[in-house]
Amino acid sequence: MGYEPLVNQNPLRVLNLGRGNKQLGLVMARAGLGKTALLVQIALDSILRGNRVIHVSIGESIDKTRAWYDDILQFILQDHSVSRPHELIDMVARHRMIMTFKEDAFSRPRLEERLNDLILQDIFRPNCLVVDGFDFESADRATVEDIKEFLESMSLQAWFSATRHRNDDRVSPAGVPAPCHEVDDLFDTVILIKPEKDATIELEIIRNNGVAADAEAGAGLKLDPSTMMIKEG
Amino acid sequence: MSGLRCLATVLREVAVSNRIRELQCILQLLFYLPDKLPLAGDYGTKDYTLTAKSSDLCAEVEEREMKRDLEKVRNIGISAHIDSGKTTLTERILYYTQRIHAIHEVRGKDGVGATMDSMELEKERGITIQSAATFCNWKGHDINIIDTPGHVDFTVEVERALRVLDGAILILCSVGGVQSQSITVDRQMTRYNVPRIAFINKCDRTGANPYRVTQQLRDKLNLNAVMLQIPIGLENDMEGVVDLVTMKAVYFDGEQGDKVRYEEIPDHLKDEAEEKREELLDAVSMFSDELMEAMLEEQEIPEEMIHAAIRKGTLSLELAPVMLGSAYKNKGVQPLLDAVNAYLPCPLDVENIALDLDNDEAEVKVSNDPNDKLVALAFKLEDGRYGQLTYIRTYQGVIRKGDTIVNTRTGKKLKVGRLVRLHADEMEEIEEAGSGDIVALFGVDCASGDTFCGDGLNWSMSSMHVPAPVISLAIRPVDNKAQGNMSKALNRFTKEDPTFKTYVDHETNETIISGMGELHLEVYIERMKREYNAEVEIGAPQVAYRETITNRAEFNYTHKKQTGGSGQFGRVGGYMEPLEEGEYEFVDEIVGGVIPREYIPSCDKGFQASMKKGTLIGAPITGVRVVINDGSFHAVDSSDMAFQQAAKGAFREGYAKASPVIMEPIMKVAVEGPSEFQGAVMGSLNQRRGMIVGTFEEGNYTVVEAEMPLSEMFGYSTTLRSLTQGKAEFTMEFSSYKQVPKSVADELIKAYQAEKSEG
Repeated sequence: MGYEPLVNQNPLRVLNLGRGNKQLGLVMARAGLGKTALLVQIALDSILRGNRVIHVSIGESIDKTRAWYDDILQFILQDHSVSRPHELIDMVARHRMIMTFKEDAFSRPRLEERLNDLILQDIFRPNCLVVDGFDFESADRATVEDIKEFLESMSLQAWFSATRHRNDDRVSPAGVPAPCHEVDDLFDTVILIKPEKDATIELEIIRNNGVAADAEAGAGLKLDPSTMMIKEG
Repeated sequence: MSGLRCLATVLREVAVSNRIRELQCILQLLFYLPDKLPLAGDYGTKDYTLTAKSSDLCAEVEEREMKRDLEKVRNIGISAHIDSGKTTLTERILYYTQRIHAIHEVRGKDGVGATMDSMELEKERGITIQSAATFCNWKGHDINIIDTPGHVDFTVEVERALRVLDGAILILCSVGGVQSQSITVDRQMTRYNVPRIAFINKCDRTGANPYRVTQQLRDKLNLNAVMLQIPIGLENDMEGVVDLVTMKAVYFDGEQGDKVRYEEIPDHLKDEAEEKREELLDAVSMFSDELMEAMLEEQEIPEEMIHAAIRKGTLSLELAPVMLGSAYKNKGVQPLLDAVNAYLPCPLDVENIALDLDNDEAEVKVSNDPNDKLVALAFKLEDGRYGQLTYIRTYQGVIRKGDTIVNTRTGKKLKVGRLVRLHADEMEEIEEAGSGDIVALFGVDCASGDTFCGDGLNWSMSSMHVPAPVISLAIRPVDNKAQGNMSKALNRFTKEDPTFKTYVDHETNETIISGMGELHLEVYIERMKREYNAEVEIGAPQVAYRETITNRAEFNYTHKKQTGGSGQFGRVGGYMEPLEEGEYEFVDEIVGGVIPREYIPSCDKGFQASMKKGTLIGAPITGVRVVINDGSFHAVDSSDMAFQQAAKGAFREGYAKASPVIMEPIMKVAVEGPSEFQGAVMGSLNQRRGMIVGTFEEGNYTVVEAEMPLSEMFGYSTTLRSLTQGKAEFTMEFSSYKQVPKSVADELIKAYQAEKSEG
């Protein structure tokens, strides 16, 4: 594909987003700290590795979701020289599909039906699913387990985002805060986006591919607060 | 005028008998001035001794009648999804404002048809194609209504209409809600900064749910939609509305709903009304500190304060008031007109920009001042019974019968002949029109989009974005008579509509028409037949392909001819490369005069001529930068012709090496319908080489957005209908040109070669 340098330089390589990986990932942060930006970067990295990604956006419009991709792709093109930027943009568009749902229209059966529509008619065969805006607060463990089981049966890698709330201090034994403190064991990788006092945004990798990460492993990954692009050190 | 003269006579009588109070009353009536008419203030500069100078007063009255108060002018559009009842609503508005005296339905049983649908074709299809402008008066406000077409194939019409509007009513069906067409239209309104009021129509229909539609306005159109009314009953039980500003129930009595009756709010709606009023006040308090304070102090809030806040929010486009009703059942139209007066902008509220052609197209603000020189935009042409009718919107100055004006595009001076105010098919002759008005001129030769200025001014209203046509069709007149009529018709259509183009293909001798979509061309063919009696045969629609290059390539070509007589010689060297933006660029890097100055334009000409027709499939070439940096000439044999030929040869040489490709128009397509068909819809799009961009799902309703090659969309409406039992619909607009896949390109090239060897 010729985009290996982009993949190899990407700080996200620590997450090992290759095609074979069927992990279930979770990105958590308070509102406005860059969950969507991080998910889109994960999706783009996956696309650059040759995967097809479905971006499920709950409660957002197609246009807004697409705008995220366009913006982040522009930042990538600014930072890295790519010989034919239009081909890259086109390639990304062909390897990505956006599915948006109204908050109450998203459910496992609905998702299953949609994915089957796509796969059986050979319209789009995803390897990776990104789910932005899933409401963990009103979902019980059984619902999340159900979705996980479905994703495993489709052998899909998947990433979810969850919003933390300021006045909810509950934390799971592994250190995963509410609203995911009761389902955190279902996820292979958990990333926490944390604002620091010096106005930088740190990424804390609590668990990476099933392994509880020690403090140093994920350290050093940051989000640039102006562009929301992931940076090393 | 006769009515006015009659009034003037009455006035004179009253004035002569020195009955000042009566005079005040009459003047009040005449100008609809709200409360007091300070004779000394308004007319105070002159001392009216009423007995002696009543004739002066009458003259003054006439003058004031003409200088219409700009603050009481509304130029509005009515814009909506097809079939949401736009024409019916317009018809009701005209009825209540007493411009018409009977109501006709769109697909009327009485065979007359609604007044705004003046074109026969529109009557037949039940759709409105052209945006006729019409004038009416509601409670002292002059309202110009531009009826805009609802189908997306006519977006230039819509956009041009939007350009001259100051505000709009966005109609939505209370059952269908915000459909993709509404989204397109709303996007256009946002682009032209048109403040709007939403009117949720058809509340009498089964399944009506204005609350859901209001929510859709927020979700799908990102409008800050706030209900100003709640319904009293829905579907068959709809009786009227509760006005949340005045907190009164409004009923519409009489056969045609002419009598508006205000009552106390029915008991069962009181709580809901209170709750919704709170919501309304919360939303509008953002726009008025006064109102916010009054709310905090829990004072009684005066109506005017709420109106002012709603108006402010609406004008800033940060608020979209939502009104309800059923035009068909004559409910809710009068309050909507009140809202137009109260919340939509007058010409003074809107900033319009012109370009000063004498000053390098610098932007200038038009003043709206009737004392300045005239600036007016011709936004629509119509072929009427008495010749060409040109609809204009004035932005400043006054246009008078007999004035001389200048068309700034052509520089030609024109004399204003007849000036009329229009009501669909009927017209009223007027002497002059003030700033901000919409009127029509007779017998003025111009194209749509031209600007007229008073003498000495050379401005142009900013040019409108006109997309290039994407589809073309060969037409052949069936006989000689049709031939003449056809050219007349084409001449007219190209003037009316900048996206409709026509030319004669010199190789096949066929007349080609091109435009923005299948329906767009179909409508013109129909109109040719009906209005011009020009019967034509049509060929298969052709997609407007283009060619472009993908690599840089060098060229070095010598044109040499010495077969008797004076010879020809020219050599052109350089390179061509892809141009990301723009169609063609010529760069002259010749140094040392290896090609003499005078032949540089010849080279440019030669290259440009080559761009007209590519070698792959004969499509026009775009996106090429040509740089010349080398060459040679001959003192005797070099000529303009020789260098043009050399450039053509050089282009051919370079083009073949520059990896040329074929580009095709890609359309942005949105299909919407019940969720159960989503799989089938996506399948059908996928089969047609489409790229599905995304899907949107809400309840049982989904939208699929895709990018589709135009060439694959012929006949899609039929496919879609049969796939979804007619329950889904789609809209399509041009998105961009993209390279065609190899397999398709090969086929196109093969077909072109075959055609060439045949021809």
